[in-house]
Amino acid sequence: MSDLNLYEETAREAAIAYGNKSLIDYSSIGESDDEVWNRRNLLPQKPRKVPKGIYFLTAGSQEDIKTLISPWPEKEDPFTQSDLLDSEEDMAQEIIYRIKTTLSVPYRERLANRLLTLVNDAKEEDPSSPGITVGSLRSFYNFFQSHPNLKYPAISLMPEDNIYASWRSEQNRLFSVHFLPNGDTRFVIFKPNERHPDKQMRISGIATTDILMETVTPYGVWDWISE
Amino acid sequence: MKGDKIPNQHHITRYCQPKYILDGQIQPGAFKLRAGEESLSVNWLEFLNCSSRESEIAEIQNIYSTKLNVGGRAKIAVLNVGEVRQKVLTESPDGRNLEVIHDSSTDDPSHSGIYNLKQDDELIAELILETVHEAYSART
Repeated sequence: MSDLNLYEETAREAAIAYGNKSLIDYSSIGESDDEVWNRRNLLPQKPRKVPKGIYFLTAGSQEDIKTLISPWPEKEDPFTQSDLLDSEEDMAQEIIYRIKTTLSVPYRERLANRLLTLVNDAKEEDPSSPGITVGSLRSFYNFFQSHPNLKYPAISLMPEDNIYASWRSEQNRLFSVHFLPNGDTRFVIFKPNERHPDKQMRISGIATTDILMETVTPYGVWDWISE
Repeated sequence: MKGDKIPNQHHITRYCQPKYILDGQIQPGAFKLRAGEESLSVNWLEFLNCSSRESEIAEIQNIYSTKLNVGGRAKIAVLNVGEVRQKVLTESPDGRNLEVIHDSSTDDPSHSGIYNLKQDDELIAELILETVHEAYSART
């Protein structure tokens, strides 16, 4: 079978993998404003108050990994679209800061800098854009936190400002992952057909971030994307 | 004429925003539909009736500058219609038959569209990317 489409099968798995767990992380409570990262002063810093409430992360639940928390600024005025965008920007900024400081990969600073470049690229053409979708960033963080031995990928955005990461290697091998905001990923694999070297296998599918790598393991992806 | 299929031997350009560029190289996101889009916007080069590729690109840069907020690192990808269609037809899992159709507007007479794409076509975006052999800066 040279071409295989995994959509139906993995969609079924995805439904199972979601579960209904909520992850709670208290790690940002009490963080002072001075500690909030300032994206190397590329964007104006706004004073924020950290609310006392607890924040829940519901998508892409994974055990035994560090989880994210992104406090919403306390609002006294009616909530507007502009406020929402500002809050998403703050959350995106905080997740990129966590990638830069806490991710267990040797290239975390390079990764964060690339994401900042993409935020600025997105905003250069559309100043109203939050830069990178917060849910996509969260999935991206969780994926690398779960798989710290991955090689550094090529990172770009999709039209909806979700993260798209690709690992290419010689012999026409490709593994690309689109990190969707809801914790799903859509992936693409190109690889040589070992029995028919003149042909290529092309596979695409969908899986939650937490089961992505086990889903693609049968295709030998680890061989060219991990250190 | 609007609605005409663009011949396979002709060429089209796609505007690639900076968020689709890495180290000067175009990335697959440039060839993916946005939510709500029916077709991928392109421009028909031969329609411009220019004498060289250089003058075609200059004309396209001019069009983009009037319609878009062109980013500093944005690129123009040049695609051959027949090559894109053949690549996707023969290598996509569902044998997708793309159509490239002239879709002119008053402010952009060479405007055209690649039809029969879907929102979740990352694989096809990767295939289209493999047919890009020429790229130029989108800014003059």
